[in-house]
Amino acid sequence: MVVPAPIERLIENLRRLPGIGEKSATRLAFYLLAAPQGFADELASAISRVKRDVVFCEICFDMSESSPCRLCQDKSRNPKQICVVEEPADRAAVEASGSFRGLYHVLGGTLAPIDGIGPEDLRIAELEARVRDKGAEEVVIATNPTAEGDATAHFLADRLRSTGVRLTRIASGMPLGGDLEYADRVTVGRSFDYRRDIE
Amino acid sequence: MTNNTEALVLRFVDYGESDRIVHLLTPDRGRVAAIAKGARRSQKRFPGTLDIFNHLKIQLNRRSSSGMQRLEGAKLLNLFPPVRRDLGCFGLACYLIEMLDRAAPEGGGARDHERLFDFALDALSSLVAGRVDRSLRVLYELRALACLGFKPELDSCVRCGVPECGQLSPYFLVSEGGTLCAPCRRPQDAATALSRGTVRMLSRSLTMPIGSLSRLSMGGKMLEEADRAIRNFQRFYLGLELRSQQFVDRLS
Ligand SMILES: [Zn+2]
Ligand SMILES: [Zn+2]
Repeated sequence: MVVPAPIERLIENLRRLPGIGEKSATRLAFYLLAAPQGFADELASAISRVKRDVVFCEICFDMSESSPCRLCQDKSRNPKQICVVEEPADRAAVEASGSFRGLYHVLGGTLAPIDGIGPEDLRIAELEARVRDKGAEEVVIATNPTAEGDATAHFLADRLRSTGVRLTRIASGMPLGGDLEYADRVTVGRSFDYRRDIE
Repeated sequence: MTNNTEALVLRFVDYGESDRIVHLLTPDRGRVAAIAKGARRSQKRFPGTLDIFNHLKIQLNRRSSSGMQRLEGAKLLNLFPPVRRDLGCFGLACYLIEMLDRAAPEGGGARDHERLFDFALDALSSLVAGRVDRSLRVLYELRALACLGFKPELDSCVRCGVPECGQLSPYFLVSEGGTLCAPCRRPQDAATALSRGTVRMLSRSLTMPIGSLSRLSMGGKMLEEADRAIRNFQRFYLGLELRSQQFVDRLS
């Protein structure tokens, strides 16, 4: 099928999104073409603003509209408790469970040697500095219970041990190999309630 | 047609909304890529089993529209706890599965597949927290090469065939596949020196149970030359620049 160049260009761009193949991209492009101008403008501006307006919080490295983020500025949270998660989506899952009232630290992934990701690629030094400078009392390591998440948790525990902070790991109410992002609230909540000290 | 077999998970890539493509090492068909539909959503069918290093019992279905096999179910037989707890074990296990994921053959002789699969399981289950070092990494790499069909000749000279060429301070000539005796060495050969003790150590390691390899601790000059020889050999025959190498090198 020969389509006008502007549509072709839109299809090409949509295809670069994860999980979108040629068929879906074409469907979306024609949907947008038929949609009201207002919707197309709104979507275009939302996409262009998301890159400009979303920043990383300088304290917890979560994605936010401001830095420090709202959560880090919330005086009702316990600043002596820090929960370490892999990604912003995991932070959101823990928060939705309502089981944690401290602050977060988003690592930005896990140790993943096969993908070339080592300790210096994650916000580990920042975590260490934060624990030392802010006199944290407990670090709850809530990386996912996958091989890489577990290895990362042990690595973090080794790095933080000398600070004297209490180190805990979420319990495996979480299915082994699971992902906080996909777990239900009750499961995430229970994994916090039953967290245990790391030897 | 459904095929029941065992598998070791080498790698996975999340695909689309909820699927996961897994690279598996199997004892009957070598390396297989399969798609697990709904793997990230359904905790019932794949309850956290499709993770690297996991040893599974699986059902594969050969029919698939995309040409890729479908993984119908998986049950966890074993995971290797030290690999998740000890950074040394974790690094070496990553190095190993990366090597297998990129070099293990698909299809072909069933006997070789089984040998490679047994080696991989043995290697992972032999890892002991606090006892992984660079020496063990070199010995594992050599063993992996041998199981992949690239065993260096270490017991005789690659040119004259004289056994125990260690008598006359041997060299290692990667392009011809093994040790070279001093009289056979030509000036233009890109051979590196490999001392007699090192050759013996490497040769012995190939016949030992994998679980005992951590007792053969190489150090100093021996480790340096063994590491260089095996690494060059691997690069020459498999051509792999392993991404996990940097991670592993930093640990030691
Ligand atoms: Zn923050
Ligand atoms: Zn010779």
